[in-house]
Amino acid sequence: MNDVEISDEILSFDPDTLQRLPVRKSAVLEKFRSNRRAARIVRAMADRDDVLDPDAVDRRLIRVHCEMQRISEEFQHGQRVAELLHPVLQALRATGVVRPIRIVDVGCGTGFVLRWLAAHGDLGGDVELIGADYHPALIGEAMRLAKLEDLRVTFRVANAFRLDPPGSMYLSTGVIHHFRGEALPAFFRSHDREETKAFVHFDFLPSPMAPFGSWLFHAVRMRDPLAKHDGVVSAIRAYSGAELIRAAGDGAPGFLRAMYSTRLGILPIPRAFHALVGLRPEYREAFVRALGARRSRLGDWA
Amino acid sequence: MTVLIATLYLLATIDATLSGYSAAAGRSALIRKGPHYRKAMLRGFVLGQIAAAVSLSLVVAVMNVVPDRTAFRADLALVWMRMLHVYLPFALTILTAFAFRAIPSVDVRCLTSTLVFGPLAGIRPLVGMAGLVWGILAAPRPEIVAGGSAILLLWLSLEGFLGFSYRPKESV
Repeated sequence: MNDVEISDEILSFDPDTLQRLPVRKSAVLEKFRSNRRAARIVRAMADRDDVLDPDAVDRRLIRVHCEMQRISEEFQHGQRVAELLHPVLQALRATGVVRPIRIVDVGCGTGFVLRWLAAHGDLGGDVELIGADYHPALIGEAMRLAKLEDLRVTFRVANAFRLDPPGSMYLSTGVIHHFRGEALPAFFRSHDREETKAFVHFDFLPSPMAPFGSWLFHAVRMRDPLAKHDGVVSAIRAYSGAELIRAAGDGAPGFLRAMYSTRLGILPIPRAFHALVGLRPEYREAFVRALGARRSRLGDWA
Repeated sequence: MTVLIATLYLLATIDATLSGYSAAAGRSALIRKGPHYRKAMLRGFVLGQIAAAVSLSLVVAVMNVVPDRTAFRADLALVWMRMLHVYLPFALTILTAFAFRAIPSVDVRCLTSTLVFGPLAGIRPLVGMAGLVWGILAAPRPEIVAGGSAILLLWLSLEGFLGFSYRPKESV
């Protein structure tokens, strides 16, 4: 269990009703029996009769997301997402997509990306930003923060793929590595609806340097031991571009798929993040044209 | 001597101000955080002035009790000069990275983090110690070792002090 994130184990929701399920501390400790560091972190968490205290878990995860946001900000993630969304949106508009264009952030947490886009993204008045997550406490925090800054963005406690109407495009950051095995193609299968024209999923780019780099940044920048642990595990178990392309092809064959932004220009330096771009075939040409000088960052279409 | 003190004071003030920023980072999940960071850096600056006053007072106090004041002053100048051999390149690297950070490019800004800000933040305590040891090797007097260690400890603990005020809050 050295490649499992603590945050995945201390939370449980019924996927149909989204009702929160009690999590037994002893069961989580058993899962981390071979990972002493994770076990120590879980052991220190508050519980009531062996059930992890949901309020304490919520407070902890809100704090962890706040620390994660710091790294996203340092690595300019809002700007990175905006720079890729603009050409996608241009392509959708040029090909007459139904308005408003609904961008749904899957597993948005406290909604940093959408709140940043609402504040600085300049995506246009015909774009609707919707964040979805199973976790009511994170969504509550996202709504509170958006209200404080008067940002035009909506957050829902929901399965992102069951929203009505569905998203015109789906977006995520650091989410897809949580889907293991058959769950990954199933995740992409959820995109394959007529109304959905595109998806962009950002995640850590695996490379020989990624585990060390992730460890260094989490050691230096994070305070919460849970954040430090999960951040490093995320980088270790992130999928390669080839794995993502294959899984997306299996799950959502109606989309063209390509990896975006895997190398730093002509330098052999890997980036921290790469993105899987999925597009309906009729938008490809307009998208590539809208990328302009950045089209060299786009890998081969599958 | 005055130039050495002024240079060390300037570096210490920059370090304290940035410690204020660092202590405040990851504490607010708002998007527009200008006021949050401005306040944090001001707090760092003010605490840095207090720490500088305490440090200088310690130096003056030791200077008043040592029997060979002139020799002590000379040794101190030598130690400070050698400390700057370590601290100045470190500070200049950081300040140069800030200049690059001003370039509005995601890639350039990320590179400043991966190549400079992250690694150097990680080794900052070691650089603090290395500078002191390098300085002390030139004049290993017990007063300088003890005083220098106390002052370094004070500076390295500033960020921790500054972070205390954020701890009760879950997020802002």
